[in-house]
Amino acid sequence: MTGVARFPIVQGLVFGIIGFLIGAAGTGFVRVALLGRDSGDWWSTDLSWTIAYPVGLIGWLIGVGGWRYWGREWFGGEVDQFAETGWKRYFGFSGDHKVIGIQYVVTFTLLFLLSGLTVMLVRYELAQSGLQLFNNDTYNAAMSFHGITMVAVAVAILAGGFGNYVLPLQIGARDMAFPRLNALTFWLVPPVAILLVTAVLMGGWETGWSAYPPLSTLQTKPGQVLFNLAVITFGLVSILGAINFLVTIVYERAPGMTWGRLPIFVWGIFAASLIAFFFTQAFAAGLAMILFDRVLGTSFFNSAGGGSALLYEHVFWFYSHPAVYVMVLPAFGLILEILSHLSRKPLFAYKWAVGGMIGIVALSGLVWAHHMFTSGMENYLHAPFLVLTELISIPTGLIFLAAIGTIWAGRLWLNVPMLFALGFLFNFMMGGITGIYLADVPTDVFLHDTYFVVAHFHYTIMGGEIFALMAATYFWFPKMTGRMFNERLGQIHFWMMFIGFQLVFLPMFDVGIKGMNRRVADFPSAYDDFNLFITASAFFLGASFIPFTWNLVISWIRGPIAEANPWRATTLEWQVPSPPPEHNFPEIPEVVGPPYPYGQPEVRHVSGPVGTAGAPAGGGGGGGGGGG
Amino acid sequence: MRRDFTWAAVIWVIVSVVSVAVAVFIMDPFPAVGAEEAGLIDDAFMVMTYMGAPVFAIVIAVLIYGVWKWRASGAPEEGVDDGPPILGTNWFPKAWFVVTAGLAVVVMIYPGLTGLAELREDDTAEMRIEVTGLSWQWLVHYPDSEGIRLSSAGGDELVLPNDTRIQFDVLALDILHSFWIPAFRQKIDAVPGQTTTMYTTVTGAGDADGDGDFDYQDDVAYRIQCAELCGLNHTDMAMNVRIVEREEFDEWVTSQTASAAKVR
Repeated sequence: MTGVARFPIVQGLVFGIIGFLIGAAGTGFVRVALLGRDSGDWWSTDLSWTIAYPVGLIGWLIGVGGWRYWGREWFGGEVDQFAETGWKRYFGFSGDHKVIGIQYVVTFTLLFLLSGLTVMLVRYELAQSGLQLFNNDTYNAAMSFHGITMVAVAVAILAGGFGNYVLPLQIGARDMAFPRLNALTFWLVPPVAILLVTAVLMGGWETGWSAYPPLSTLQTKPGQVLFNLAVITFGLVSILGAINFLVTIVYERAPGMTWGRLPIFVWGIFAASLIAFFFTQAFAAGLAMILFDRVLGTSFFNSAGGGSALLYEHVFWFYSHPAVYVMVLPAFGLILEILSHLSRKPLFAYKWAVGGMIGIVALSGLVWAHHMFTSGMENYLHAPFLVLTELISIPTGLIFLAAIGTIWAGRLWLNVPMLFALGFLFNFMMGGITGIYLADVPTDVFLHDTYFVVAHFHYTIMGGEIFALMAATYFWFPKMTGRMFNERLGQIHFWMMFIGFQLVFLPMFDVGIKGMNRRVADFPSAYDDFNLFITASAFFLGASFIPFTWNLVISWIRGPIAEANPWRATTLEWQVPSPPPEHNFPEIPEVVGPPYPYGQPEVRHVSGPVGTAGAPAGGGGGGGGGGG
Repeated sequence: MRRDFTWAAVIWVIVSVVSVAVAVFIMDPFPAVGAEEAGLIDDAFMVMTYMGAPVFAIVIAVLIYGVWKWRASGAPEEGVDDGPPILGTNWFPKAWFVVTAGLAVVVMIYPGLTGLAELREDDTAEMRIEVTGLSWQWLVHYPDSEGIRLSSAGGDELVLPNDTRIQFDVLALDILHSFWIPAFRQKIDAVPGQTTTMYTTVTGAGDADGDGDFDYQDDVAYRIQCAELCGLNHTDMAMNVRIVEREEFDEWVTSQTASAAKVR
């Protein structure tokens, strides 16, 4: 056992498979005992997976380190201390928020690239009418896989990756509030990825990422069960992560780090965590009810049994609309953060920006049914949801106020992270304005389920959040790896991605209005020209990730050594070495002023030099300095 | 500072005018119009475009002017290269808040609530047609026209009389589908265990593309398209729509009943 224990992932897999087999065998045994040996019906994919998977999941968590570092003490034993150093830390159970941050970033970047390759195949299929690469069945599988994996990436990569890495540094904490819970949360992610990939290998599922019943309860594909189990697990990741962030932000701030002195990125994570904490259960409950309908024969969503298909849509969107703010609020924080540092100006209207984020949290749970204007729900619900949805534009407008006010009269350093931040503003503006057409009932009953919607949410999530992700990746790359990326390759990546993105998604608005509906493998030949153009552009957009991947991999291995504070930024994470030492700060810093004191020589963010990076980083003898 | 505002305002006006001009003169996004409601919906779409353009242009103007005027030549020097500490604690955010809130209220009233009221005000119809979604075909029943039954799987077309207000009662036999004819703009889901309703005033017969001939088959907007993912053959769940004048429709009804009688 000691041999396996040196490779936590291998041990986790072994334990996980053993647990799964125990669960499956137990289920089979009970079935045969109940139904009699003659029935021979000891294996049913739905039932066996539903029971065996949680057992396997527990086995995986025990094997990967949950027992050794945590579980033992529940039974009076002694736990091991996190002892791994060097690269091995990244492949095991570690409580260090910086290790976990990089684990999230790398895992979800790989998932992002895999999902991106899948959608290249989808676009190849859609290059012209008729079926080329896929048939109707495999198309649905590929499209559904792209949908759910990208949703998972969008929900988790900013908060899980950069939130984990940067947030404790920014608030002057030594780690997250619950390091072992943090590790457990991350190690719930690989089972999600394994389940989704296994589901595709077993023939996929055909309900997209939304899993609308009765299709999801009636279809015979086993992939649907794996999908449900994966997404319920992922919901757990989201909730546990949110709890950890909320407690960390409330209780672990350094002395003097008042709520009004928090870097705006911390506010973004805080707002997103509130939403994830309050709403994720709804989606998990909806998916669990689908499992009950499939496995236990309940009728939550089966009208013949007294259930209602509309009920699921309400439950699903009650989470899934707020979920877009879980994706985008950290992106708002991050963009404002980067704009402030790289325009060398204090964040404009800080309090209004925070108010905007809180306003979005407040409204997020009141707008879900704008996804259901064509669903057949009661007509009297249409007007209130139209009104509430239009209200969201007001707090979002405050974010834009802060952004353009910060750019105004600044000293714009147009390096790669800044370019992505400016690109975000353009794209999210497009996404926001086209959202108004979809909040308006008369235009929505026309545009719902067309490519107009596809273009709209790609503008907000890919053009918005993923552009913010790219900005964050370049912005914090030197901090996380201790090395600089190649600026020229980064610029090539930006321009390819920005132009490619417009060329893919602008025509989608048009073809959607002209009557092309989404989630179809084939379409009338009238839309051929559009789709050929979109596919060609999509390949160009996909190619932009080659310089990205190349740049980051090569720079991580042998890029020039990064200084502690290459951007001359004021917040705390830049006042410690790159990468920061274990437990971040030799002494907890004292915060004495606002986070972005640019242009105010007399104002400082922290009182004195922080750690060992004072002299080269902060300059002027005041490491935490406000550029003084 | 005043110069900056002036220049940004100039760029804002130019970008706004150009984008509205593009919307008015160049953009021609809509498919063929086959129903009265399409006019209302297309108008609402254009109104939002005209309103959205200047809002979009504010951000674009600051982006363009900022990158042009305030770009730094390279890495900033500590302390020297900082911008002015404009904190935004003055009247400006309040004004922004009031203006954006005002715009949001305007859009939600017009074209929002007014459009919704107009779309829903008339729930009378001259003819009722039942449309049923069944994986993966459309079944059509004309209770007012000798009870004719059609099926997309049988290669039938949905035939509708022109200048007639029709009530579509939409049902689903197994799972969710969505009844959508792009030329009519509206869609409504077919929900198991429930009857959903869509009212349409058909005005489509005529010459949509102006080539002197009503050739619906060239115009993809005249099709029923399932607009809710319904599994395997969702893609193929479509049915052509033909709109004919009233007399021709009556002849068609007669011929259908005759052929049905023959079969019987």
